[in-house]
Amino acid sequence: MRLLLVEDEPDIRSFLKCSLEEAGYQVDTAADGKTAEKLAAESVYDILIVDLGLPDQDGITLILKLRQFGVSAPVLILSARRSVDDRVRGLEQGGDDYLTKPFALAELLARLRNLLKRNSPSGNESTRLRVLDLELDLLRREASRSGQFLQLTAQEFVLLEYLCRNAGRVVTRSMILDKVWGMRIQPDTNVVDVHIYRLRGKVDGKGQQPLIRTLRGVGYVLKDR
Amino acid sequence: MSSKTAKPIVRSAAWRISLWATLAFAGGAMLVFVVLHRFVADDIQRRSDAWLSGEVEVLGDVAERTPKDAVYGRVVGEVAELAAKEVPNKQLTESSANDSVFFLQTGSGGSPELWVGTGNGGANLKAIEATRIVPGRPTDLKVEGFDIPFRVASLRIEDGSLIYLGLSERDELRVLRNLRLRFILLWLLLVLLGFGIVFFTTRRMLSHVRQITEAASRIGHSDLNARVPTTNRSDEVGHLALTLNHMLDRIESSMHQLHTITDSLAHDLRSPLTAIRGKLEMSLSAAAQLEQAEPIVSAIEELDRLNDFLTKSLDVAEAKADALRLIRSEIDLDELLRSMIDLYEPSMSEQGMQIGLRSAGPLTISADAALIHRMIANLFDNELKHLPAASTVTITLRTEDGSAALTLEDDGPGFDPEVSPHLFERRVKGKRSQGHGLGLAFIDAVARAHGGTATAYNRAAGGAHIALTLPLASQQHTKLAVPNTIATVSDR
Repeated sequence: MRLLLVEDEPDIRSFLKCSLEEAGYQVDTAADGKTAEKLAAESVYDILIVDLGLPDQDGITLILKLRQFGVSAPVLILSARRSVDDRVRGLEQGGDDYLTKPFALAELLARLRNLLKRNSPSGNESTRLRVLDLELDLLRREASRSGQFLQLTAQEFVLLEYLCRNAGRVVTRSMILDKVWGMRIQPDTNVVDVHIYRLRGKVDGKGQQPLIRTLRGVGYVLKDR
Repeated sequence: MSSKTAKPIVRSAAWRISLWATLAFAGGAMLVFVVLHRFVADDIQRRSDAWLSGEVEVLGDVAERTPKDAVYGRVVGEVAELAAKEVPNKQLTESSANDSVFFLQTGSGGSPELWVGTGNGGANLKAIEATRIVPGRPTDLKVEGFDIPFRVASLRIEDGSLIYLGLSERDELRVLRNLRLRFILLWLLLVLLGFGIVFFTTRRMLSHVRQITEAASRIGHSDLNARVPTTNRSDEVGHLALTLNHMLDRIESSMHQLHTITDSLAHDLRSPLTAIRGKLEMSLSAAAQLEQAEPIVSAIEELDRLNDFLTKSLDVAEAKADALRLIRSEIDLDELLRSMIDLYEPSMSEQGMQIGLRSAGPLTISADAALIHRMIANLFDNELKHLPAASTVTITLRTEDGSAALTLEDDGPGFDPEVSPHLFERRVKGKRSQGHGLGLAFIDAVARAHGGTATAYNRAAGGAHIALTLPLASQQHTKLAVPNTIATVSDR
């Protein structure tokens, strides 16, 4: 996976490069828009990380310019700004994602994987999801484990569906809040944990292998192995 | 602003101004006319009196010189008839009948001797006898059978008899009536024309003022780029627009300055925070043992709290300066509250708390979704953190005076009485509170940035009462209910 990281802060650039490489990405970095344009023209990237506050131009201007040049790779926008402006919203609707600084590394990686998956041409949108012995019928909104029907509320089903779609990958609390409840909030209470706890109570029955794992300080993962 | 233009014209300032201006003009013109009319009437009377006095003297002369024989009556009568034909201001009538002039000669005893005029002169004589007529001074005489009075001049001739010459005031009155009629017509025309001109000029002038008002009211908290329309004229209205625009320039520039400061503050703090957090996370993944990981995790948590505090502080600071930037979209509060309750309910019931919503259905406001979400999450977080077990939270949503009114009531211990008067101030918190004291200040800030209000007090029955009002999206009532895509996106 080739990744282009456009970030002007040397500190952030170096730690991001380091962690991204650790996560298996092949990372090129650019400290400003000019360099980024040059790099993007020279080689093809699978995904881009663009900081909005670049020294020579606005991050969004850069993204739009790259799009005009034919760069179609998804972009994860990093922003230290206080409000998300409409253009970022527009890009988000176009399939890109944004993350406000400071962020959890796990969140960044999770969002990157999400973007890559979204962009991959795996298009066979089936009406059933299967993770190990867990099965979800997306049309009838029903879930079962080892053939045993699970009594889920509508909201629990949506949450489980989201975990299944990201099976084997970490999802953070704010990702869950964003994608399941549609809210970009950071509650300083354990609201998400309680939902997961309840869901786990239904999904991981007695004597069964626990599927939903908690990664402390990071988020949750639905095991797929 | 269709509601403003639909206002009846009668209530507009232009209407009142033109009405008063026209009244003043009409009154003044009428006064001038009354004076003029008086002058003309006096002048006409003076002329006819002069004529009467002249004619009566001529007649007196003739009567004196003509011998009192059989022809006397005819000679004097003809002279009188002749005089009647020279009446001033006489209207040319078809009938040759002379009814505007009479001539009467009475003997020294008062008995009629000679009569020229309409009828037999009996009524005239009676009227003359009833009125004291001083020779040489023309007098008004009301004669029975005639609507219009006569002007009568008399003269005593040498043989002791009196001669009277009467002239009907009909022609004089007709001239005056014509004068009045023409004046009234012209006056009405002028008044209407004047009213029209004044009304349309003031309306044009004031419509410009109205445009300025409308534009100025549209320039809200977040939209300071707009300017009021200006004209090229250098009159008062033009100056008003220019002055307003200059003022807006200054406000915009200081607002811009504030934004630059808060933005760079946020940016300058967030970038190192991001780097620190990243490095901590890297060392966390490198830490093999749990004892090493523990302090790193708590450092990360502290960092996240610091970041939350930073964001809220800057939001509150901007909101206090009316400078919070809003990206508005339509939000269904009812839907939002339901999904928020859905999110918080498990945590609350875990603590034995109950939460209920009383709402009359969809209620759309135009607001910044991110801020409103955070504000409501803040309210719920507060309840969750501060309420004892088995408490009940009741949320009510309804429309009140064109606003969405959201109230949250609980039966917990309420606010600390010490801080109650300062609930919405920054950094105010009760002794038991764990937060950084920005919660309610933030809620207040968001509500006010949207043009709403926030109030909080302790209920008499115990527990806290927090009320928020947020203006409804425009045309809430007429607009068809279009489902919103903002509030709950459960499976995107």
